[in-house]
Amino acid sequence: MMTQYGLHIDQNRCTGCFACVVACKDWHNVPAGPASWINVKVIEKGTYPDLFVAFLPTTCYHCKSPACLDVCPVGAIAKRDEDGIVTVDRELCLGKTDCGQCLEACSYSAPQFGEEEDAKMQKCDLCIDRWAESKKPVCVMSCPMYALDAGPLEDLRKKEQIARETEGFTYSESLGPSVLFKAKRR
Amino acid sequence: MTENQVEIVRTICNSHCGGTCEMKVHVQDNKIIRIEPDDRPGHPRMCARGHAYRQRVYAPDRLLYPLKRTGPRGAGEFVRISWDEAAETVATELQKVKAAYGNAAILHFCSMCDPHTLHHVGAFHRLLCQFGGYTAPWGFISHEGATFAAGLTYGTRRKYVQTEHGADEYASSKFLIMWGWNPATTDLGSLTNLALVLAKEKGTRIVTVDPRFTDSAAVFADQWIPIRPGTDAAALLSMAHVVMKENLQDQAFIDKYTLGYEPFKAYVMGEEDGVEKTPQWASLISGIPAETIAKLAREFATNKPATLVTSIGPGRTAMGEQYHRAAHALEAITGNTAFANWQSGPSRNMKFNPQLPSPPNAVEEGMPPRNIALPYRSRTVNSSARVNVSSFANAILKGKAGGYAAEYKAIWLSNTNYLNQLGDVNNTAKAFEKLDFALVTEQFMTPTARFADIVLPVCTFLERHDIVAPRGGQVFAILNKAIEPLGESKSQREICQLLAKKLGIEDYGDASDEEMVKNIIEQASEEVDLPDFETLKKEGMHRVKRADTPGLQKDSPKLPGDTPLKTPSGKIEIYSEVALNMNQPQIPALPKYIETWEGLNDPLVQKYPLQLISPHLKRRAHTQFDNLPWLRELQIQAVSMNTVDAGKRGIQQGEMVRVFNDRGEVRIPAKVTERIMPGVVALPQGAWYTPDEKGIDHGGCVNVLTKNEISPGGAFACHTALVQIEKVVE
Repeated sequence: MMTQYGLHIDQNRCTGCFACVVACKDWHNVPAGPASWINVKVIEKGTYPDLFVAFLPTTCYHCKSPACLDVCPVGAIAKRDEDGIVTVDRELCLGKTDCGQCLEACSYSAPQFGEEEDAKMQKCDLCIDRWAESKKPVCVMSCPMYALDAGPLEDLRKKEQIARETEGFTYSESLGPSVLFKAKRR
Repeated sequence: MTENQVEIVRTICNSHCGGTCEMKVHVQDNKIIRIEPDDRPGHPRMCARGHAYRQRVYAPDRLLYPLKRTGPRGAGEFVRISWDEAAETVATELQKVKAAYGNAAILHFCSMCDPHTLHHVGAFHRLLCQFGGYTAPWGFISHEGATFAAGLTYGTRRKYVQTEHGADEYASSKFLIMWGWNPATTDLGSLTNLALVLAKEKGTRIVTVDPRFTDSAAVFADQWIPIRPGTDAAALLSMAHVVMKENLQDQAFIDKYTLGYEPFKAYVMGEEDGVEKTPQWASLISGIPAETIAKLAREFATNKPATLVTSIGPGRTAMGEQYHRAAHALEAITGNTAFANWQSGPSRNMKFNPQLPSPPNAVEEGMPPRNIALPYRSRTVNSSARVNVSSFANAILKGKAGGYAAEYKAIWLSNTNYLNQLGDVNNTAKAFEKLDFALVTEQFMTPTARFADIVLPVCTFLERHDIVAPRGGQVFAILNKAIEPLGESKSQREICQLLAKKLGIEDYGDASDEEMVKNIIEQASEEVDLPDFETLKKEGMHRVKRADTPGLQKDSPKLPGDTPLKTPSGKIEIYSEVALNMNQPQIPALPKYIETWEGLNDPLVQKYPLQLISPHLKRRAHTQFDNLPWLRELQIQAVSMNTVDAGKRGIQQGEMVRVFNDRGEVRIPAKVTERIMPGVVALPQGAWYTPDEKGIDHGGCVNVLTKNEISPGGAFACHTALVQIEKVVE
């Protein structure tokens, strides 16, 4: 079986500090604007004074069966054999205005588009360039809470209290997102 | 260095955030291409602001040339001039003020816009003392309430607040109270948050007391207790009441280590003033149910070791020092006084002076101490010649007639945005109008810089050498210059060297920054085990292991041991004769609840019914970083209000509102949320004051609304202000 790389997120530790978001923008040179390869979702529930709040980093989960890849009309999206990382060839991409089908197909809003008119799709590539230098993704290395990890899923599965779902995240059987959690304690 | 090759320069980010986070700066052809987080395990990791620093260096609005004002003060109309003309003008103006009014007429303030060590206050102090003196500030905007209270209670200048607790203390606590403390937002550059989450994982029960359900409440707390701003002392005193009434006090600790338990008990039990400080009494003041207070008190007294982390935030209120003193008293009577990490770390004992020694400040010579001087502070800091930093605008406006030591005619603000960051911006703007000369040394055209006559461009810390030594506790770090300064910007020290020449000061010092750094390392090596200069330069930083603190018992770290404190009695002074002798009705000998101005019993509440607080935002360090696109998009500047308060006013999420009182008006979107106590509204501090022609601020600067009045102990009272909010009807 192919090695599938993915993410592990300990949601109990995420303070919503945005270090991963900006570290990613700096490393990958993504300008300010709507495109961000990783985001932080804030989940707020309850009414004063009984409240529940959690944070969740959201990104591309390099699915087992990526819907984006299936719908792309020009074959701009590919899944790498060696690590299962889903990549996009922006030269081939038709752009959000003319196409945008990948965004519609993805349950996790992973495809990102800048604010320019003919914005091409961009998204997390799990820092392929860094793995080549034996470095983990910049989001993982920037997290002050050590809430993030990345690597082959079979290794990540060895962590304690592994869960497929957590606050703000539903597992899709059809896509098979490559992400594991330590679920948020209520 | 060959062309196109990428060099990695190690340095440390330290931008008035309290952090000391390693950076690996990737440089290609004298240009920063990215900043990588360091990967040394066990070290703090950079926050979003550090990761965005490349945008700060190359920001289109960076000041790159000296500027001279051409329009009215505050209009922001400037023209580029040469360094020679700028330095000549500064020298001439300072000489003029000196000749006409004396050196005391010159004010200088320096804050923490990445100035580190060589480029910090010492550089300016030396120059101005050589020039014959100047009026220097006293007091800390951030924590003067805490500092004042610690001075009275423990006889230390150390502020004895959140940073004095150590990470190991959290995990070893059974019970932890985060009082007004939100490290998930305010303490990003440290291992504090990691330590808190590890404590929680280990089973420490954590309670947060705060008007807001903060991000820290979300991540760390098992319970949130909302409290009205400015009422913390009342709640803490009623906790002491529960402890006394139910006989839960630690009598052995009280007998051995404290002074004044009996008079304190008499006050708390109502024997002194006829008011028993019961939880019911505090409940009416603070809004916390009486049973909640009683349970909190019992948990704190009986789950030892318990830790009370009293944030410096609630101390920034009209009677801020009473909150800190009440907290110290509660800790002491329950035997939970935390000394484990008090005064530890090599920085506390460092004797070396990173600057060349300065002559004494002639303006302070022969001046008596001010009436609220603390015996633990130096003669110079206690001098009545100094101006409380939070009152500088009033000092300019009122001068001798207002009880200040001099008439102030010139100001030099280095790396500070005080117009924006101190009470009542419109009042501060009037103060600037009154000055003969205003000099600002800055990286950006801040709201304060707009009021200057001359603005001198300062480079960022990535464009010069420096060292982080005494500040930051265990860290020795060399700040390696990554690139040449942009445009004609210069380092703070270079600016001082240049001005010294123009002022005819021959011996300011011409040593290069790198030579100075080397010197400091050599001096420090005599006291601390450090790698040599070349190794440090290559590694960027060295973390020193926490030293055992002299005089403390290692085996029972909660006890102060047998070394007396530096208070007159040598004990923890719940009752303070030093306070009594200040003869100020609002500085009592005991910690007391004193009602604040603009509280809920102020008649002003009819007109302005909402209590305004000004918390931090993760994407800024005070006013720094507010202009960077990568950060601005993370969080919007908005006024948070409870759904109930918004509903009463017909305000929907994101709608534009007017936040106003007699001091001014801010127009900003509303953030309608369950996460704040009804009756309290929060506008994050640090947004840049951006007035329109009518003087209405559209930047969201909270200090348009805060009062320019300090607490009796000298604290900046930014969290004591009443406002009204209305929907903007166009």
